[in-house]
Amino acid sequence: MTTTSELETGPQGRIDRQALADVVPLAIPAIPFGFVVGLAATESAMPQWIAWLTAPLVFAGAAQLAMITLAGTATLWAVITAVLVINTRHLMYSAALAPTFRSQPRWMRWFGPFFMVDQVFALASLQTHRSPAEFRRYFLTTALAFYAVWNAVVPLGMLVGPIVPDSWRLDYAPPIMFAGLTLFAIKRVPAAVAAIVGGFVSLATVDLQDRLGIVVGALAGVGAGAVAEWIIDRRSAPPADPAADPSSDEAVT
Amino acid sequence: MSTSAALAALFCGAIGTYFARSSLILLLAGRSLPASVERALQNVGPAVLAALTINLAVGSSGLGGVEFAEVAALVVAGGVAAWWKNLTWTFVAGMATLWICSAIT
Repeated sequence: MTTTSELETGPQGRIDRQALADVVPLAIPAIPFGFVVGLAATESAMPQWIAWLTAPLVFAGAAQLAMITLAGTATLWAVITAVLVINTRHLMYSAALAPTFRSQPRWMRWFGPFFMVDQVFALASLQTHRSPAEFRRYFLTTALAFYAVWNAVVPLGMLVGPIVPDSWRLDYAPPIMFAGLTLFAIKRVPAAVAAIVGGFVSLATVDLQDRLGIVVGALAGVGAGAVAEWIIDRRSAPPADPAADPSSDEAVT
Repeated sequence: MSTSAALAALFCGAIGTYFARSSLILLLAGRSLPASVERALQNVGPAVLAALTINLAVGSSGLGGVEFAEVAALVVAGGVAAWWKNLTWTFVAGMATLWICSAIT
């Protein structure tokens, strides 16, 4: 990603070029993911045109893949619950960009968040120092670029899916993608604890009806992550006893 | 899944996703979330993605139906993802492991 300082006062065309240059390295990895979502749509119990509509209407890779894959193996409410739980992390993005969006016009506050996929958030969060007009231009350019790429790649996967022989085991592509996304999401120790506990509890509860093990595992993981946060905070907090060595516990963080 | 159930899933998923992304931008005027809530939200992603991985990997066949090649594919995919932070290579390595191990066993 190139630096942004040269663009602070540039014209809109320069902001567009900067935004598109920033999009490329993040859009390339999204291409195979969108392709897998398209392939999964061809194997889904959902009618294919509805599975396709998840790309323009939901526009969220992990949630789409979960919805498309779980359809037919779980009840409706279980599918919806899984999708909503997956997207809870977007609340974090919303909270992080709320101060920047406060200076945007009303239409942008309602329209912009629709496009806030992980990559758009990651790029936009680096541009909060810009003027409201420049930020809006940058945000919308990256957002529309990702939207265009995604809506081109998912149908491509749907076209290719029926040609691929069953022996290629593309039915197993979703868990492989989710395994990768899990590892990407772990950036801190409590997150690792949340993932390990979430995975094991989901394994222990795999026989529950309606894929309930997903939600049970997720809740157990979030709880374990919170406990891990609490333990780490306690161990890294300054000791209450003033005679104690204040640096003795710093290594644990 | 019937067409009406699939449409219901689609629209609930679309509306839920939109409000997860927009709600705090629309509601959080001048305030911020408590730090503990923000940190708990950071753990939602890893927890739910890990639970999904395992649930989808084991599938409806149950634990007894899991093949060695499938476990190997997940382990290799996890390793590649952790090391290279690249989803394309994760996918390629995971699928290649699945094919090779399936052919051997």
